[in-house]
Amino acid sequence: MEVGQMQGRLVDYTKSLFMEGFLDGQFLQLQQLQDESNPDFVVEVVSLFFDDSEKLLNDLTMALDQKNVDFKKVDAHVHQLKGSSSSIGAQRVKNACIAFRNFCEEQNIEACLGCLQQVKQEYYLVKNKLETLFRLERQIVAAGGSIPLMEMGF
Amino acid sequence: MNVHTLLLPRFQKMAEKAFETPPRSSSESSPILASPMATPLRKVFNRISGFASSWGRKTAPRGGRIFHGDVEQEEFQYASTQCLSSYYSVFVARLAIMVMLAILIGLLTILTWHFTRIYTTRSLNTLAFGLRYELLQRPILRMWNILNSTSEITTAQVKLSEYVIKRYSKPTTQAEQVEQLYQMMKDVTWALFASRKALNAITINYKNGFVQAFHRDHRSNNTFYIYSDLANYSISTSESYNTKQLTSRQGWNDQFFHGNFSAIWYREPLDPVTGEKTGKALPIPPDDLINIAGPSQVPDGVASWHVAVSKYTDSPLLSAALPVRDASNRSIVAVVGVTTALYSVGQLMKELVEVHSGYIYLTSQEGYLLATSTNAPLLKNTTKGPKLMMAVDSEDHVIRMGAQWLQNAYGNKFPPGHVVHVEKANLGGQHYYIDSFFLNLKRLPMVGVIIIPRKYIMGKVDERALKTLVILISASICILVIGCVCILILTNGVSKEMKLRAELISHLDARRRAEASSNYKSQFLANMSHELRTPMAAVIGLLDILICDDCLTNEQYAMVTQIRKCSTALLRLLNNILDLSKVESGKLVLEETEFDLGRELEGLVDMFSVQCINHNVETVLDLSDDIPKLVRGDSARVVQVFANLISNSIKFTTSGHIILRGWCENSNVSSDSGKFSPDRKKSLSALRTKLKQHGNHMKKASKRDNKMILWFEVDDTGCGIDASKWESVFESFEQADPSTTRTHGGTGLGLCIVKTLVHKMGGEIKVVKKNGPGTLMRLFLLLSTPADGTEQHGQVDFAKHSVAVILALNGSMGRLIMSQWLSRNGVPTLEASEWNELTQILHELFHARTRNCGFDSHYSLNETLRSKVHSIQDMRNPVYIIVVDLGLLDLSTDIWKEQLNFLDKFSGQVKFAWMLNHDTSNAIKMELRRKGHILMVNKPLYKAKMLHILEAVIKERYVELQKRSTNGTKGTAKAGDSHECLEIDSSHFETCSSDDSDNSESGGTNSVSSVHTGDETREGTVKSSPSNCQTLKNCLVEFTHLGPEVNDLRAEEDQCNARPKLHDTEDAKSESSNSPEQHSVSSSTKDRDDSYTSKAANGQKSLEGLRILLAEDTPVLQRVATIMLEKMGATVIAVGDGLQAVDALNCMLNGEEYRRDSSLQERRNRLQTEISDSPPYDLILMDCQMPKMDGYEATKAIRKSEAGTGWHIPIVALTAHAMSSDEAKCLEVGMDAYLTKPIDYKLMVSTILSLTKRSA
Repeated sequence: MEVGQMQGRLVDYTKSLFMEGFLDGQFLQLQQLQDESNPDFVVEVVSLFFDDSEKLLNDLTMALDQKNVDFKKVDAHVHQLKGSSSSIGAQRVKNACIAFRNFCEEQNIEACLGCLQQVKQEYYLVKNKLETLFRLERQIVAAGGSIPLMEMGF
Repeated sequence: MNVHTLLLPRFQKMAEKAFETPPRSSSESSPILASPMATPLRKVFNRISGFASSWGRKTAPRGGRIFHGDVEQEEFQYASTQCLSSYYSVFVARLAIMVMLAILIGLLTILTWHFTRIYTTRSLNTLAFGLRYELLQRPILRMWNILNSTSEITTAQVKLSEYVIKRYSKPTTQAEQVEQLYQMMKDVTWALFASRKALNAITINYKNGFVQAFHRDHRSNNTFYIYSDLANYSISTSESYNTKQLTSRQGWNDQFFHGNFSAIWYREPLDPVTGEKTGKALPIPPDDLINIAGPSQVPDGVASWHVAVSKYTDSPLLSAALPVRDASNRSIVAVVGVTTALYSVGQLMKELVEVHSGYIYLTSQEGYLLATSTNAPLLKNTTKGPKLMMAVDSEDHVIRMGAQWLQNAYGNKFPPGHVVHVEKANLGGQHYYIDSFFLNLKRLPMVGVIIIPRKYIMGKVDERALKTLVILISASICILVIGCVCILILTNGVSKEMKLRAELISHLDARRRAEASSNYKSQFLANMSHELRTPMAAVIGLLDILICDDCLTNEQYAMVTQIRKCSTALLRLLNNILDLSKVESGKLVLEETEFDLGRELEGLVDMFSVQCINHNVETVLDLSDDIPKLVRGDSARVVQVFANLISNSIKFTTSGHIILRGWCENSNVSSDSGKFSPDRKKSLSALRTKLKQHGNHMKKASKRDNKMILWFEVDDTGCGIDASKWESVFESFEQADPSTTRTHGGTGLGLCIVKTLVHKMGGEIKVVKKNGPGTLMRLFLLLSTPADGTEQHGQVDFAKHSVAVILALNGSMGRLIMSQWLSRNGVPTLEASEWNELTQILHELFHARTRNCGFDSHYSLNETLRSKVHSIQDMRNPVYIIVVDLGLLDLSTDIWKEQLNFLDKFSGQVKFAWMLNHDTSNAIKMELRRKGHILMVNKPLYKAKMLHILEAVIKERYVELQKRSTNGTKGTAKAGDSHECLEIDSSHFETCSSDDSDNSESGGTNSVSSVHTGDETREGTVKSSPSNCQTLKNCLVEFTHLGPEVNDLRAEEDQCNARPKLHDTEDAKSESSNSPEQHSVSSSTKDRDDSYTSKAANGQKSLEGLRILLAEDTPVLQRVATIMLEKMGATVIAVGDGLQAVDALNCMLNGEEYRRDSSLQERRNRLQTEISDSPPYDLILMDCQMPKMDGYEATKAIRKSEAGTGWHIPIVALTAHAMSSDEAKCLEVGMDAYLTKPIDYKLMVSTILSLTKRSA
C-alpha cells in the first residue's frame, strides 16, 4: 500500500474514533506531547493504560464477586480507572466509570455488575480501536512515511 | 329586545342562505352582485340586514361587525367566529341577569301588595263584622223590646180583667152587674191602652161573645172604641157556658164564632188623650177593622203570638193573645188580645241605614218580611186583603236579591243558628256583605239579615288596592326596564373591556412568540455556527497537513495556500457570526483568568504591524506605566476587542499611524500630557456616575479583587466616520459608508461584537471627536487585578545606569511616544528620522573621537538638539544605545553596506539595536550579525522591547566589566545568543498572540508564518554557532539541564527519564565554560524565565528550570503528566504514592545537608548555597487518591516536616473530584492549589507558574 494512502486511512480512522466518541481532546494532547525526544510516547502511555486497566478490571471483578462487597474499595478502583481513562482520552470508558461510581454510592450491586460489564466492553472496544490505530501507525512508519498529526479542535 | 337580538342574527343567517350569498357577504358587497333578478329582493334584504345590524350592534358590536365587514374582513374572520361564540355567552349571561332581576322585582311587588292589602283587609273586615253585628243587634233589640212590652201589657190586661170579672161575678147583681162589669172593663182597658202609645189595639173577647176593643189608627191618629151589640147577650148564658165548657170545648168554640158573625159591632171615635166620646157610634161589620183575638187563638190556654196584618196599617202587626180565667181558675172567661205595630222597628232600621248605608230586614222563620229598612211595602194586596210578603218577593231589589242569594246558597238548610256571614256576595253586579242572625223567640222565631254593600266598607280599600297594584306594577316594570338597560350598558362595558383585554393578551402572546422566535433564531445561529465551524476547522487542519506535505508541486502549493486563505476568511466570518449570536442568545460567558494585558496587546500590535507596513501605516502601542501587568478577565475576548478595532482602523487607514493608547483611570489625570484632559475629564465624570449606579453590586467584587478601570483609545488617521454615524457604527451589519464595502470589504459585524463584548466587561465604547483626520475610538474596560498582582514589575532605574538612547526611527509617532516615555524614565534621548540626521547626531556626539570622519561639513544640528546632545555628553561614562530602523538604510542599492561600515566605526562606543522589518532579507541579517550587531528586534518598537534592549545592554556591559580581560569574545558570543533569543522571543509573541485571536489573515495563517519565522531563526542559529538543526528552544532546555544542581538531582534520584540528547558543541561549551560565564548564561536564562512566567500559558518552555515532584499512582497519568511537564522544560521526579513522596522529600533534605557538609565540589560553592536556601523541589503535584498514603495525608506530613525550615513547597492537588467541597478539603490540609483530571495543559501551567513565581 502506498504511504499516502495509508496516511489518509490513518487520518480517517482517527477521525472516526473522535466522531464516535471513543476518544476526546485529551488524546490529541497526548499526541502533541509526543516528539523526537520520546517518539513512542503515546504507545507507551496507552499500553500503560492497558496494563493498569486490566489489573483494575480484574480487581473490580474480584471485589464484586465477594459476598460482602466493599463498595469503598470498588469505588476507589473505579475512580482510578476513571482517572487513567480520562487521561488518555478514552471518553466512553470514562463515562461508563462515572455511571459506575454513581451506582457505587447507591451500593446497588446489580447495577454495579452491569456497569462493570459495560466498562469492560467499552474498554475492550477502545483497546481494539487503539491497537488498530497503532498498527496502522507502525505500518506507515515501516513504509517510511511520517505520521500525520491531527490538529483539529474537535 | 332580547328576543330581537336572539332572533335577528338567526333570521339574517336564514336570509343569507335563502339568497345564496357568500358567507358574511355584507351590505357593501351586495352591489357587486349585479344579478337583475335578485336586485329587488336584495334591496329588501339589505334594508332588513341594515336594521338588524343596527339592532345587533346595540347588544353585540362584534356581531354587527360581522355583517358590516369591510376590506379588512378577511383578517377578522377568525376573530369574528371566535367572537360569535363569546357574544352568545355574553348574551346568555345578560339574559340570565335580566331574568333574575325581573323575578326579584316581581316578587318584591307581589309581596308589597300582598302585605299592604291583606293587613288592611283583615283589620277592616274585623271592624266591619263588628259594625254589622251592632247594626243588626239594635233592631233586634228593639223587636225584643216590643215583644216584651206587648207581653207585659197583655199580662197586665189579663190580671186586671181577672180581677174585675171576679168582682162582678156574683149572681145576685146580674143585669146591673154585667153593665157595670163592662163599664169597668172599658175603663181599665182604656187606662192601659192610653199608657201605651205604641199599642195598636187591645181587645177583650168575652165568653159570651161580647167584644170590647180599643184601636189606634197611627196614620190618621184617631182612636176608636169598638164594641159589639149587647142585646143578644145575657148573663144567664154564663151557667150554660160552665157546663158546656166542661162537656165539650168544641161546642164552646162554635158558639164563639157563631156569636161573632151574628153580632153587630159599633165603632165609637174617642179623644185620644182623654178617652171622651167624640162622635157617634157607627155600626161596622165584625172583624172588619181589626183582628179580635178569640178563644181560638188560645186553644190550650197559654199565651200565643202571631204576626198579623190589618187593612188599615201597611206594616205587619204583632199580636199576642192570653186567656182570662175565672176565680176558680178553671175556665176561660175572656181572651185578651194585644196588637202592636212593628212599624217602629222599621223606623229604627231606617234610621240606622241612614247613618250607615246598607239594607236590613227582619223575617219570620218562614221568610215573611217583618220589617225592612226600606220604604218598600211589606204587605201585598191580594184579593183576600193584604198579606205578608215573602222576603224573596220584596219590591226592594237588593233585599229580594239578597234573600234569593241566601236561599240559593243555603236553601232551607240554614246552618245551625241561622248565622251566616258572607263577605262577598255578588248581587246584581255589586258585592255585598250579607250577615244573618237568628232570633229564637219561643213563639216567634225571627231572622235578621243585613246587607251592606262592600263598597261602603271596603270601597276605598279596594280602589286603593287596585291603584296601588297598578302603580306597583308600573313602577316595577319601569325598574325592570331601567335595570335591564343598566345591565346592558354595564355588560357592554365589561364585554368591551374583556374584548380589549383579550386583544391585549393576544398581542402579548404574539409578542412573546415573536421574541421566542428571535431567540430561537439566535440560538439556532449559535448552534449552526458551531456546526459550521467544526468542519471548517477540519478543512483548515487538513489543508495545513497538505501544505506541510512535500510532494506538492508549486502550482498545487499555491492553490492549496489560496484555499487555506479562503477557508480562514470563511472561518473568521463564521467566528464573527458565532460570537454575535452567542452574545445575543446570552450564552457568552466571560472567563476570569489572569493574563498579562501588556503582553497581549504587544502581541497584537506586532501582528498588525506586519499588515500595516505594506500599507505604509505605522502601528504604535502607547501604554502608560501604571497599567497593571496582570489583570483578571477573558484574555481572548479583550484581545478580540482590540484586534477588531485595530483591523477596522487598518482597513480605513491608507497612510499615517494607528495608535493604541492605554492608561489607568486612577492616575491618568496626573500622568498624561494633558492634551486630552478636558475631554477625558468629561467622560470620566460620566463614567463615575455610571459606576455609582452599579456600584452596589460591584462593591463586593471590588473588595475582593480590586476592580480597575482601564481606558483605551484607538486612534487612526483614516477616512474617519461622519459624526452622525458615531452611534450607529456599533449596530450589527452597519457600516458608516456602505460604499466602502466594495473597497474595504467587511460585514459590519466587527464593531458590533466589540460593543457587546465591551458592555459585557462592564465598559463602554464610543467614537470621540478628534482633531485632524481619522477616527478616535475610546473605550474603557472594567477589569479586576489579582490581589497579589498589583506589585509593580521591577522597573530598572535606568537613570543610574547612565544610558542614553538615540532613536533613529522612521515612524514619527512611535518615535515621539518612545522618546517621551524614555525621558519620563530618566533616559536622555535623541531623535533622528533619517540617515543624515543620525549621522549628524553621531558626529556631534563623537566629534572628539571621530575627528577624521568625513562628515564634518554637514555640521548643522539645530539648537535644541545640540543642547540635548550636550546634556548627554555631560553624563559620566554614558552607554549609548542607538536604535536604528533598518528602513533608514538605503536598501535598494548597495549603499547600506557602506552605511553599515560607517556605523561600525562607532561600535566601540555605542550599542546598536536594529529594528527589523518582518520581511528583512536574511542577507542583511547575516551581514549585521557578521559585523557584531546582535541586538535585533522586529518592528514595531514598544515599551517592552525597549526595556529588553536596555536590560540587555546594561547586563552586557556589566558582564563585560566583569570579564573584560579574559573571555571577551566568548562573552559577546554568548550575549549574542541571548539577544538572538530576544529576536525570536518577539517573533514568538507574534505567533502566540495570533493563536489566540485569529482575526486577520496573517493571524489565521499563523502556523505557516510561524514555520517561516522558525526557519529564519534556525538559520540564524546555524550561523552563530555551527550546530545542526537543534532549535533554540532545545538549547534553552540544555542550559537548564546543564545546571549542575539539576545533574546532581538526577544522579541522586536515579530517575530514568530520558535525558534529552545534548548537542555536542553545546556540551563542549558547557564543559569548557567557567563559572562567571555560567553565571551569565543562567542570568540570561533567568531573564527569560521572568518574561516567560508573565506570559503564562503562551510559553512553551515556561516551566524552565523548575523541579517538580509528581506523586501519582496511576501509571498512565503519571506518564502523561511527566511528559507534559518535561515538555515545558520542568524537571519531573515521579513517585507512585504519598509515602514515597514524603520519603523523597525527606531524603532530599538529608542529601542536601550531607552534600553541604562534605562540600564535595568546591567549584560551585555559590550555587550550593543558593540551592540550600531553597527547597529541593519547586513544586509538588499531588494526586489525592493514592494507595498507602493519600494526597491529603502526604500533604499533612510534608507540611509537618517543613515546620522548622521556613520553607513552603507549593503543593498542587490533582484530583478527579470536581466538587468544590473537595477543593475546600485540599486547601484545608495545606495544599496551595487544585487541578482536576484530566489535566488541562494551560490551566496547569498557569497554576504552577503563579505558585512558583510567588515562592521565588
